[in-house]
Amino acid sequence: MKFYVCIKQVPDVNAPLQIKEGELIQDANRNILNAYDASAVEEALVLKEAHGGEIEVVLIGPDKASETIRKALAMGADSGSHILTEGSEEFDSFSYAKILAEFFKDKEYQYIFCGKQSQDTDSGLTGSMLAEFLDLPYATNAVGLQLEGENLIVKRQGDTGQEMIELPAPSLVTCSNDMNDPRIPSLKGIMQSKRKPVNTIAVSDLKNGLTNGSIKTSVVGYEEKPKREPGKKYEGEPDEIAKEVAQLLDSAENVI
Amino acid sequence: MSNLLTYISVNDGKIKRSSLEVLSRCNEIAEKNGKTSSAIVISDDCSTIVENLKSYGPSVIYTIEDPIFKNHLNTPLLKALTLAMSEINPDVMAFASTEGSKDILGALAANRNAAALADVSEFDWTGDAVTAKRPVMASKIISSVETKGSPVILTVRSGSYDTVEKSGESKVQSIPFTFDKNELKLTLKEIISATGDKVDLSEAETVIAAGRGVKDEEGRKLIDELAAVLNAGIGASRALTESGDYDPSLQIGQTGKVVSPQLYIAVGISGAIQHVAGMANSKVIVAINKDPDAPIFEIADYGLVGDLYKILPPFIDELKKIKG
Ligand SMILES: Cc1cc2nc3c(=O)[nH]c(=O)nc-3n(C[C@H](O)[C@H](O)[C@H](O)COP(=O)(O)OP(=O)(O)OC[C@H]3O[C@@H](n4cnc5c(N)ncnc54)[C@H](O)[C@@H]3O)c2cc1C
Repeated sequence: MKFYVCIKQVPDVNAPLQIKEGELIQDANRNILNAYDASAVEEALVLKEAHGGEIEVVLIGPDKASETIRKALAMGADSGSHILTEGSEEFDSFSYAKILAEFFKDKEYQYIFCGKQSQDTDSGLTGSMLAEFLDLPYATNAVGLQLEGENLIVKRQGDTGQEMIELPAPSLVTCSNDMNDPRIPSLKGIMQSKRKPVNTIAVSDLKNGLTNGSIKTSVVGYEEKPKREPGKKYEGEPDEIAKEVAQLLDSAENVI
Repeated sequence: MSNLLTYISVNDGKIKRSSLEVLSRCNEIAEKNGKTSSAIVISDDCSTIVENLKSYGPSVIYTIEDPIFKNHLNTPLLKALTLAMSEINPDVMAFASTEGSKDILGALAANRNAAALADVSEFDWTGDAVTAKRPVMASKIISSVETKGSPVILTVRSGSYDTVEKSGESKVQSIPFTFDKNELKLTLKEIISATGDKVDLSEAETVIAAGRGVKDEEGRKLIDELAAVLNAGIGASRALTESGDYDPSLQIGQTGKVVSPQLYIAVGISGAIQHVAGMANSKVIVAINKDPDAPIFEIADYGLVGDLYKILPPFIDELKKIKG
């Protein structure tokens, strides 16, 4: 059984940010494994531990992102493929999915797991785009996974409740961080990760997948979200402040 | 030929307000630029939805009706949308952002070779590129984005636009559709519906959100009471959906839902950016927290510092009095 997990290195949203002339400036030392992808890796590890198999992580990113592959290997993945970019390309979800589809064209696998979205951009497009390019059945926003034979039983979070969906192999699932708590790599895991194989492929070798019109969206600028007007803090006797605010919600705000 | 096409999301036989917001925006863009704005309903029973939709005046209401659409499943929905897009040929296809539309947005864009923008908070189209704004970095930053080529498929955050009724004849046109069970690549085994007849969180005018500070049955009872007085939807932070105290469908934030009610009351919630990402556009924010330095106070209009177990009972009493 072969699991592929697509992972991405993203800036930590908790790190300080700056916008200079419409460009987003972030501390490259505060890059992390996307939390949703970490859950996808964790889920593959749990399934592997119960049913056997092999886990390969795939990452598209610049040289520096190799640390994120090591992180997934330290968690327990068996090997990695690094699709190396220059770092200056402005790929969008569509072109990332095209590149991944080209990568998977000649691969054999039962399952591809992705994070349900990237923590930085929150688009959540690449997974289902990849499924469509590869003509795979898929489920998004998974919060639970089980194997029954080769079929995946996916619990996905829908709008008003959860849906249990059965997917035949091969299939693709995008994972929510509500699925599990990704393990912290052990010291032994970190040591072992250094000896695990990582195959590097230049993105230009997969550009067959990209046609002229494959980059369909672009970011033209960033701005800080307008701050809310500062409010008022009420401290003191619970009875009094509760009463005062309740009355203001009626008289001043008219929202009750 | 339709320039803008809005997909009408339906929940329990009712049109979701967020998709009327999107339709209203598409109507506005169409009017401004001399384009047409139409709508599509894909459901197991379209008739009442079509009738209700007429007061929003789309030029054409397209329908695809089949029993398979009783529950959300991505394979048949994708087939229907793919068919609709190839027949109708819209330049811009817009959805309200829901778990249902997020499920198929990428696949539909891949299938139609279309540009896709997820979860925009503003968008415009003059006939050329679509320009839009998207919250990124857990909604700390707004990015301006632009598309190349046509068609463009996008989803819009709920609460981004007002719903505006519009007079005018709507033509109704049904698109023939067949779906063979053998085409189903996957099977729906079971639906675990938790929210039942409670207020729909994404449409509620008032939302009460419980966080880790609500630590026991007594606290949850206070939340229920407060919600009952205000006829509010109940939401929760990740701390309490993770612990199992509240259903996962109620999570508000980056992983969960985005809400923008008139009144948001955060009870025992610290205000982590991933939570704030889902509620910062609420009109009035009230926070109850015993830690005066909790980050939630930075965005609250009314910050009540103190123990929620002491503040909620008099707060509820006073609200009851006001409500009469
Ligand atoms: C990728 C990612 C996505 C995430 N998505 C989401 C999301 O969608 N939604 C979400 O909510 N979180 C999300 N989180 C988690 C988020 O970072 C926080 O961990 C979470 O929101 C904390 O929940 P909380 O505020 O209830 O708990 P805490 O941070 O533990 O805060 C509890 C608060 O309650 C107060 N308190 C305790 N007792 C009382 C009392 N008796 N009276 C009054 N106040 C009291 C405390 O002072 C404290 O401020 C995400 C995290 C990541 C990494």
